[in-house]
Amino acid sequence: MDTALLALALVPFVGALLPAAAKRLFGLAPAVAAGATAVLALGLVLWLAPAALDGGTTVHRWEWVPSLGLELALRWDGLSFLFALLITSIGTLVCVYASGYLEPHEATPRFYGLLLLFMGAMLGIVLSENLLVLVICWELTSIASFLLIGFRGHDADSRQGARLALLVTGSGGLALLAGVLLIGDAVGSYDVSAVLAAAGTLQQHPLYGWMLGLVLFGAFTKSAQFPFHFWLPHAMAAPTPVSAYLHSATMVKAGIFLLMRLYPALGGTAEWFWVVSTAGAATLLFASGVALYKHDLKGLLAYSTVSHLGLIVLLMGLGTPLSEVAAVFHLINHAVFKASLFMAAGIVDHGAGTRDMRRLSGLFRFMPYTATLALVAACAMAGVPLLNGFLSKEMFLTETLQLRELGWAGLVFPAAATLASIFTVAYSTRFVHDVFFGGPSRDLPHEPHEAARWLRFPVELLVILCLLVGLFPGATVEPILRAAAGAVLQAPLPEFTLKIWHGFNLPLAMSLLALAGGVTLYFYRRYRGGLHDYVPAWVQGKRLTEAAVAFVQDGARAFWPGFDGERLGRYLFVLVFFSLLVGLLGYAGAPLVGPRPVQPASAVDVVATVLLVLAVAATVVLHRERLAALALVGVIGLIVALAFARFSAPDLALTQILVEIVTLLLLLLALRWLPNRTPRVALRGRQARDAAIAIAAGAGCGALALAMLTRPVDTIAGYFTATAPGEGGGYNVVNVILVDFRGFDTLGEITVLGIAAIGIAALLHRLELGRPALDPLGRAWASRRNSLQFEVVARPLLPVGLLVSAYLFLRGHNAPGGGFIAGLVTGVAVFVQYLARGATWVDERLPLNYAHVMGWGLAIAVVSGLGSLAFRHPFLTSSTPTFELPLLGELKFASATFFDLGVYLAVVGTVLVILAELAGLRRQERG
Amino acid sequence: MSGFVEVLVAVLIVAGAAFAFLGSLGLARFPDFYMRLHGPSKATTLGIGCLLLASLAHFALRGEASLHEVLITLFVSLTTPVSAHLLARAARHRRLPARGESGPAARVDATARPDAPSGNAPR
Repeated sequence: MDTALLALALVPFVGALLPAAAKRLFGLAPAVAAGATAVLALGLVLWLAPAALDGGTTVHRWEWVPSLGLELALRWDGLSFLFALLITSIGTLVCVYASGYLEPHEATPRFYGLLLLFMGAMLGIVLSENLLVLVICWELTSIASFLLIGFRGHDADSRQGARLALLVTGSGGLALLAGVLLIGDAVGSYDVSAVLAAAGTLQQHPLYGWMLGLVLFGAFTKSAQFPFHFWLPHAMAAPTPVSAYLHSATMVKAGIFLLMRLYPALGGTAEWFWVVSTAGAATLLFASGVALYKHDLKGLLAYSTVSHLGLIVLLMGLGTPLSEVAAVFHLINHAVFKASLFMAAGIVDHGAGTRDMRRLSGLFRFMPYTATLALVAACAMAGVPLLNGFLSKEMFLTETLQLRELGWAGLVFPAAATLASIFTVAYSTRFVHDVFFGGPSRDLPHEPHEAARWLRFPVELLVILCLLVGLFPGATVEPILRAAAGAVLQAPLPEFTLKIWHGFNLPLAMSLLALAGGVTLYFYRRYRGGLHDYVPAWVQGKRLTEAAVAFVQDGARAFWPGFDGERLGRYLFVLVFFSLLVGLLGYAGAPLVGPRPVQPASAVDVVATVLLVLAVAATVVLHRERLAALALVGVIGLIVALAFARFSAPDLALTQILVEIVTLLLLLLALRWLPNRTPRVALRGRQARDAAIAIAAGAGCGALALAMLTRPVDTIAGYFTATAPGEGGGYNVVNVILVDFRGFDTLGEITVLGIAAIGIAALLHRLELGRPALDPLGRAWASRRNSLQFEVVARPLLPVGLLVSAYLFLRGHNAPGGGFIAGLVTGVAVFVQYLARGATWVDERLPLNYAHVMGWGLAIAVVSGLGSLAFRHPFLTSSTPTFELPLLGELKFASATFFDLGVYLAVVGTVLVILAELAGLRRQERG
Repeated sequence: MSGFVEVLVAVLIVAGAAFAFLGSLGLARFPDFYMRLHGPSKATTLGIGCLLLASLAHFALRGEASLHEVLITLFVSLTTPVSAHLLARAARHRRLPARGESGPAARVDATARPDAPSGNAPR
């Protein structure tokens, strides 16, 4: 059971990689892989169903980072089950539908991968026991939604819709995070169980209003409640399968899930009632009214979705036990009929080439199956008896009538509900009548045709569900409903029966009024009121949001120059000046020189130091002559390397020399694009100020070094020296620290290195650094490449360099060397070939993508670290087995060598990506 | 034996220092680029070679002979001609004036023929 639950949470994330892996097999392979993943997840949900259907709640915990109190906790109860069922079953159907709907060039692994990523994130929301994990998954769904809305990125509407959705739902997610932090702080735990048990604490808390407001802001933005509803209609730029899945059946219900999940903790108060029910009622009324006037099929369905979400939110707000049951019931029904309607709209779009209801007409004769299916689903949406929508709508109308104690205000809700129902019937009628009936259309892009088998199948299934639930609610939906509603209420369920006929009563009268009124309204508007001409000029939420974004950007632009003069000198000034201040405070009162004696300086030391100082001074003086300054910087690096060698740090000396070489090469190549001389920019006064600060900072560093080195300190060095041979299996302490003791740090560092290299490559990818046709003196460049001598000499340097780096690599664990240094040597050796022979020559003989080399290095490092998990040791534990080899004898081998190999490859890749790509060598010759 | 080697080492050091000095002097004093190039690339290399031989002899005498000097010699003799050649090529390409053609007329002449073949015949 616990394994199945964990598998359910992880399967979609793992499965998200499958479509890409299956891409090469055959055309539909990505769809099949995604569908199989969804089916597997659905199977797991059904396998787990009995545990939830009996009303129990199970929480499973896995240790994650026990020292931080972090654990992976999953919750399985009726509510999780209901949502997981919706997510996986509709997800499966959407995969089937998408395989028939998408154009071949769109049916990419990216699409299915994102769909599964969304599925995983959504399952994370509903399964999470920890509220913080819930928020993270919440944001993940926003990101997946952003990427899926913008899937057709060449289309401006898609991009704008995606941005808008991300902005609104993302800000809601931030508010939710703040609210969750407040709740967690008040309760002392982020566990859902603990929060649900602490309703009293929360509702008495002085910050209850803030908690409620922030959580509701998150829920309302996600579930598109008025006034945050406007992103959802713009999200319809997404491909229809996405709209059916994310923007009607599941993601927009995440907000409602949150309301349901936290209802026992936050609900039942007057604030809850007023805010939630008002928002719900306003949304319901407003959106159902707007939906009638939308000409786009998907636009109509989007506003219809918003209004139904409002209906559910209103029911949540009413706060009676039965209203919560009705909310859960309507949520199920809405998911079923709205998904089928979206899919039907997609079929119409596919078959007729447009979604504009002003152009569509009389499609019944072309697509009778789809028309019948859409008719049934639209009737369910309108609340026609014998269909599922009718049942939950009756419950809804009954509940709005229970507010007697509010006096006249209690009448507002039933009135609004009836009015919204009239609108709902009207737009449902419009959806069916405008598209499928009336005279034949003369204005279609092409002859309409019936949908393919796989496009219709999901719709058929969902419509059959509408009928089954409508006819036999007790046998089909009642167990799920009871389990889910019980989990929402966290209390015994109220008495209720699901049946079609409750006798003649007020709700039935309201329903009949809505049906009659809706149909009348539609035909009146259609033939008298010019429904097709009238475009309501509502306040556009999108425009307001864009204006707000533009305002913030302009404000930031006006504000920023005060901080940022866009001069590096200014940054340096601020950084160094304040470091100096803080450093001075640290010095205060302490003697400069400690008790340890200072080593005597030899003549060589003095000469080297003098040279170093002279080189530094010369660099400062000559800094405007770039080439000369660069040569002097090289001298400085060389002396520093000598100093490392002198003071027993051969590893550092080797690294320093190699890094110096790579840096010099890089800067020399970069100099080709820069002027020979740096222009004089600084004023005299500022130069004096900067010089004073620089000298003071340098003196401070020197004083700090003196103070540190003359004090006895107990460093960790002794520990490392003592334990490296035994535990790390190597005598080179530096290398053992890098690949073993602090392996995690190294992994992070090479990752950063890789990111930097990729960043550089990405920045330069499209940059035209074309070499000018003439040199600065107006002469053509030499037609020939570099000298023959250089080519002849450089050639044997490659094998020698590789040999040296292999030697350095292999001995690295016990003597100066290791993957990093060896990688630098290899990188330089290969780069010399570029310099000597040119990119074409090298690339013909060494057809490598250096970014891939870097990626393989990272992968090897990670895999070698994961290897220790197989032996039940923590990540990156090294072992040093000893092998008995024939001929070679005993061989001691540290598993960290594999990790070091990863470091080596990552460094080689990075160096060559940066040098070969940044210097423009490759691009230049390829043109 | 050791006395002979010590004399040899002393002679080599002095000779090496002299050549290195002459090379540097030449770099500073010769009148044009092409002549200046000879100083560091030839005289100084010879000076370094002498010093390396001296070092080799000195440490061999003390029984601490190593391959370091040989390797340094190898790399100096590999890199010096390459850099000298590259520098000379660059100078030829930029038509730096040799002695005797440094007058204003020569400069005009040099810039007026940007596409003339450089010193090396194309392969």
